[in-house]
Amino acid sequence: MEIVGPGSRLSSIALPELKNLAGDDLHEISGAFVDTLSHDLKLSGYLRVIDAQAYIEDSQDSGNELGHFNMADWRSINADFLVKGGVTVKEGEITLEARLFDVAQQRQMMGKRYTGTGDEVARMGRRFADDVLKAITGVEGPFDARLAFVSTRGGRFKEIYTAAIDGQDVFKVTNNPTINLFPGFDHSAHYLLYTSYKTGRPALYLADLQARRELRISSILGVPIEGALSPDGRYIAAAIEHGGQTDLHLLDSAGREIRALTQGGPINVSPAFSPDQTRLAFTSDRSGSPQIYVMDLGGGSEPRRITYSGNYNTNPAFSPVGNRIAYQSREDGRFNIYAIGLDGGDPVHLTEGEGSNESPSWSPDGRYIVFSSTRSGHARLFLMQVETGKIISALLEDKGDDTSPVWSWWLSE
Amino acid sequence: MTRVQSGRGGYRNRASLLFGATLIVLAATSLVALAGCASKKKAGMQGTGGNGTNPLGEQTMPGGRNSLEDFQKGTLPGGENGPLTDIHFDFNDFTVRAQDGEILRTDATWLTDHAKARVQVEGHCDERGSEDYNIALGAKRAQAAKDYLVTLGVAAERISTISYGKELPVCPEHEESCWARNRRAHFVAAQ
Repeated sequence: MEIVGPGSRLSSIALPELKNLAGDDLHEISGAFVDTLSHDLKLSGYLRVIDAQAYIEDSQDSGNELGHFNMADWRSINADFLVKGGVTVKEGEITLEARLFDVAQQRQMMGKRYTGTGDEVARMGRRFADDVLKAITGVEGPFDARLAFVSTRGGRFKEIYTAAIDGQDVFKVTNNPTINLFPGFDHSAHYLLYTSYKTGRPALYLADLQARRELRISSILGVPIEGALSPDGRYIAAAIEHGGQTDLHLLDSAGREIRALTQGGPINVSPAFSPDQTRLAFTSDRSGSPQIYVMDLGGGSEPRRITYSGNYNTNPAFSPVGNRIAYQSREDGRFNIYAIGLDGGDPVHLTEGEGSNESPSWSPDGRYIVFSSTRSGHARLFLMQVETGKIISALLEDKGDDTSPVWSWWLSE
Repeated sequence: MTRVQSGRGGYRNRASLLFGATLIVLAATSLVALAGCASKKKAGMQGTGGNGTNPLGEQTMPGGRNSLEDFQKGTLPGGENGPLTDIHFDFNDFTVRAQDGEILRTDATWLTDHAKARVQVEGHCDERGSEDYNIALGAKRAQAAKDYLVTLGVAAERISTISYGKELPVCPEHEESCWARNRRAHFVAAQ
């Protein structure tokens, strides 16, 4: 069948509850899986989920394999796709299987089985959502990943949080009544680098999110005000202030300098590694106004300026294949999100005229950008489809100001 | 159950969870090793720092509280002035304005008369612009104020600087009258 994308009629998918294969009441497990799957597929912008009240078939009275249920029951409610599955629990271990069907062609497109504990069921839903998107659109979905962001949801202090992309499973990384800024993951999302004033002065902190411990990165070079962790987690590109001058330095993950990246005069901030770590994008006002530059980390050549429109461009973020950079550009006192090629080709505006739109970060599949916006009043995180510029949804509960989002790479097994 | 595909989104079983646990221990060990050889401070993730530590140590202040402390107490940052008077800056600029030279001369005189006093210069910005650029700009403002005091004869060792960027506005409204007040160097004296 033809897959219709955003902007035209959305394909529809039916997501009935899972069958209890062990005969127990596993309603809660089924709910956690189906609700997460449903939420993520809606967030994708590619699918419309048919309301469960329309479903004819009872999951508990039908099979999950092709030929063991009545496809006509799904065709008659105009489902293009159908997910059926089952769950068993044995000695606390959950085994969950799910299959995706093309209703019109009466064909199984994909099937998966997951084993884990109760608190892993939502993640099974995210992973299956990513697989459904791969089967239907040809590209894996971006939901089995984490968001890091800054929020004042706990009060007036900016603290760092992580959460699932769909807003579940919020984890508070910092808990100090000061100022915490600029979170960034390595590729594994195992480590998070951020800036904190928790000792009274700014410093970088490298947090091990799983072991829940962290390393303070201070520097003999000056005051570290911001850092980017390289995808492999081995390097930090840090903006370090000394004597009023802020320059970028390449450090190892313990904070020892490898070499200076910029020197003297203008402000140099907003470091962002390319996915292959060969380049660094950053913001500098060496031209007289803040503009985006790209340097080769191999050295040799001068940094190339890539933005020429607008007099305040900053917060660059590489796309996951590394061929485009999203950034924010100031217009009439507010920011809008743009994307531009590495050669500085025509910038494409992705937001326009609604609040201030800042801190873009790409999804690992490259189809989405998360950013913060004041379009609905205070700052919230929004999900945008890059190709269309369509704003799909706000993410997370409406609490405090949410800013500086970063979308991690896909989580590992 | 018939054949199921695996791949990235495939099986999640006990073996992979155990493998994950092994990785965690190794990573933690390597961090401790790094912390040891680099003599870096290590801190727990929850509830560390931020206990209102005075960055100038235990010295008492004759007034003019640190802006972060004010913010922690829920009062307007730098709202209480000490013996030294703030100066202000033009938009996206860090040069000391001619009319603020007189303020700095008065501040320098106080520092000359109080030879044991130290001062921390805080650089602040208005809300326009990005967080990081403003921290860098605030650092330039604090440094410019420090340099000016040094040219007036105050020893550089008595003056420290810190930038809070746009994080601690003294005036919360989104308009130029507030922005002009927020673009400031705030002086915190201690003796």
